[in-house]
Amino acid sequence: MLRNHSRETAVALLFVLPFVLIYGVLFLWPTVQMVLLSFTDAPLIGPGKWIGIENYVEMFDDRRFWTSVRNTAYFVALTVIPNTLIGLAIAMMVSRLKGWQQSIILAMFFLPYILPVSVVYRIWNWMFNLQFGIMQYPLTWIFGEATPVFRTQWMFMPAVAFVTIWWTCGFNILLFLSGLRSISTDIYEAAALDNASRWTIFRRITWPLIWPVTALVLTIQLILQLKIFDQVYLFVQGGRPDPSMVLVQYIYNQAFQKNEGGYAAAVSVALFVIVIVFSVLQFQFLRARGEK
Amino acid sequence: MSDIVLKEVSKSYGAVSVLDKVSMHIQSGEFIVFLGPSGCGKSTLLRMIAGLEECNDGEIFIGGERVDQLPPNQRGVAMVFQNYALYPHMTVRDNMSFGLENVKTPKAEITRRVEDAARMLEITQLLDRKPAQLSGGQRQRVAIGRAIVRDPKAFLLDEPLSNLDAGLRVRTRLELAQLHNRIKATMIFVTHDQIEAMTLATRIVVMNNKKIEQIGTPMEIYARPATRFVASFVGSPAMNFVPVAAVSDVGGKAAITFAGQQPVQTAVPVAGLPTGNLTLGIRAEAARITHDGTGIKGVADVIERLGERTLVYTKLLDGTILVAEDEGISTIQPGDNVSIALDGNAAIVFDAAGKAFHAAV
Repeated sequence: MLRNHSRETAVALLFVLPFVLIYGVLFLWPTVQMVLLSFTDAPLIGPGKWIGIENYVEMFDDRRFWTSVRNTAYFVALTVIPNTLIGLAIAMMVSRLKGWQQSIILAMFFLPYILPVSVVYRIWNWMFNLQFGIMQYPLTWIFGEATPVFRTQWMFMPAVAFVTIWWTCGFNILLFLSGLRSISTDIYEAAALDNASRWTIFRRITWPLIWPVTALVLTIQLILQLKIFDQVYLFVQGGRPDPSMVLVQYIYNQAFQKNEGGYAAAVSVALFVIVIVFSVLQFQFLRARGEK
Repeated sequence: MSDIVLKEVSKSYGAVSVLDKVSMHIQSGEFIVFLGPSGCGKSTLLRMIAGLEECNDGEIFIGGERVDQLPPNQRGVAMVFQNYALYPHMTVRDNMSFGLENVKTPKAEITRRVEDAARMLEITQLLDRKPAQLSGGQRQRVAIGRAIVRDPKAFLLDEPLSNLDAGLRVRTRLELAQLHNRIKATMIFVTHDQIEAMTLATRIVVMNNKKIEQIGTPMEIYARPATRFVASFVGSPAMNFVPVAAVSDVGGKAAITFAGQQPVQTAVPVAGLPTGNLTLGIRAEAARITHDGTGIKGVADVIERLGERTLVYTKLLDGTILVAEDEGISTIQPGDNVSIALDGNAAIVFDAAGKAFHAAV
């Protein structure tokens, strides 16, 4: 059949046009505007004067900015790899169950994921409540006295990380489970005939075969956790926010509380670059390792 | 010695029984084929020998040792799966050496065995490729190679040719036969393809409906089927079955009459033949078209010209279709009246339950 290439190209363009328009209006245009805003002294609403890279110079000298970078990095370290490993471990246990038992256990692990962050906050604020919280039993056993977890600076981030893992690992379990299910049972049977121990099967068969899922989970986690805001913002209520400030919280603080739109845009650009660079680097590294 | 002995082996999934008291003795070095229709339990039986399915009842011995309670890796068998089950992330070399590494075989020994097997199977040039880079036939060879390097007591092959195209299947079938001749190992091969069974097997185990119907050499299965099921399952075209109208005794042998036809003298002894509904079984090559008008009468319905012979689907007077053979260059046309001479020495009588009665050997 003869094909009219210019006509086919026109039809193809017509089909992608709605997406290109929406992507341009809702993502590209605001991104460009944000970058431009970061070179001005604009307030939250309204235009500002062009001040070049002054916001960026100020940002590099800003102690609170660096605190928020450190806290964000600390939170990422506490959540990304542990959340992935826990998700994998639970998925492997769940995958050994059959039928309704698997469905019930999977639902139990996935249920927290559908909760809004405010409910998660209420649940765990009660769980850790100084007077009535059930978590105070193990804490008292460990530390010898009731402990205000979210008011103790060194405990704050690990506790929020713990709650975040509880909240989100259901999704990772689901991803890992679909990866595990894609491995043919024949392969495990062949490995059983090949004298492979359970540990060998995990190390040499399961782990390499679900590596693409692992790389995906790690990357999704990294991007999500770099953008941490809600949990930290809620759990810090009533306490001193500065020591536990994370990057998005700092952007919020600068834009909405201090009316520094231009400076907040500069911090946003910094976060944008961090997310892009780290997620691309990590994904490439993981992919290369998988291919090896 | 790697004889495999099954003693009254049974298997059920809940209330559903899939194998019922199966017994057999497989001699060391035999090429045994489990043949049967889908769902007859042949793959389950193979997996039970491998240890991949538990045995509900009965005993399994390999090389004199009882193994039905042992895990798969302690039974000393290797298996080639239907879809090959190669490890997709490993190279061919790694696939073949994996099992040996797990039992701490020295590296030099692993290399030697892998290279020997690769040379035997002509896959040396593929050793550094991954399964995704191989064709179906090459994957199949790798799967066999993975089994060979382990030097097992027995090879278990679960429909290994079913994923290959027709031409490759014939070639691989031949290669498997050559491989068996070379290594003389005990092999158990599962298939529903009677041609694979007939061409490869030392003995065929025909299975149907949870049970063994017959165990025998390919020619025993073909020429002296124990049951009507075996007779109908093996052979192409399938054996003819014609309802018997009457049986008379001529010198101790059964002379059989079909509805409206002259009697046909068979070599089946009358003594022992049951009364009631009987059926005569005869293969197409024992039903020859005659050109002198002798034999049973019918009308040619469909003609299949196969080149070296012609199959004439003939409608007998009672409406039964009987497939008869004529020479390659046959002039018969659909609708022609034909006469067919039946070779009474090749005829088999089946009772209502399907049990076969043969001419004495």
